Amino acid sequence: MSEFAIVHRSALAPAPRVASHRIAIIALPEGHVVQVFERAPGADLLAVLADAAGTAPHAVRTAGPGQWFIVGDEPLPRDTFLDLANALGPHAATVDQSHGRVRIRVEGTVVERMLAKGTAIDLDIGAFPVGHSAATLLGHVSVHLTRLDATAFEIMVLRGFASSLWEGLERMSAEFG
Amino acid sequence: MASLISCPHCGARPKEEFTIKGAVLPRPDAGAGSEAWMDYVYRRDNPRGAYREYWHHTSGCRRWLVVTRDTASHEVAACQDAALAKRAEAQP
Repeated sequence: MSEFAIVHRSALAPAPRVASHRIAIIALPEGHVVQVFERAPGADLLAVLADAAGTAPHAVRTAGPGQWFIVGDEPLPRDTFLDLANALGPHAATVDQSHGRVRIRVEGTVVERMLAKGTAIDLDIGAFPVGHSAATLLGHVSVHLTRLDATAFEIMVLRGFASSLWEGLERMSAEFG
Repeated sequence: MASLISCPHCGARPKEEFTIKGAVLPRPDAGAGSEAWMDYVYRRDNPRGAYREYWHHTSGCRRWLVVTRDTASHEVAACQDAALAKRAEAQP
């Protein structure tokens, strides 16, 4: 772990937003993203994680076997991150990825049709309910998708791909403008 | 090539999300002769029919899988997590 805090600059500054009456693309605040890896395979950590993550809805996202993300809109001060890391310490390893991943919210009545241009997974609410997460490809970019609402998804992407993905989302949404 | 792979963790996903390593072969002992290592590293049978390969779900759960597919018909017969399958074999 580094001995100094990282100076944070926004990847999609200043808070861009593209919207029509059917689709909106919104850059979420670059708060915190903590990646969590279980220590022993097979242990059910969801209750422990939910406890550590606080009360915000959909703060804990599954990311494959034994891996999760804890996300939120508020920046995580170093002391708070260390408290979280210590609380989860016996069960899981934690890595602060707040600087490394960017979250984009897409919402609107045609959001599934827009996302279906980039990903092959079934986005129907029956197969992909509210709170469900999946790591997948959107075009050629690896992303982590979460359904926040019947008509809203969150896309988490590696920071270096954020502006490229943003342009892709704009193009995918153009016909709905 | 099979275009949909049923990942045991993620469900049916397109092959573009995966990286193929190649045939599932038993690794020789470190001291095995150069002939055994030559076989393991380079020589492949290229069979027509059933084939077991390591696939990595690179753009999904990032787990190594063992995919059993038919090289002629493109059908996927089985898809298992490589580490979990190995653990299950070790503790029957």
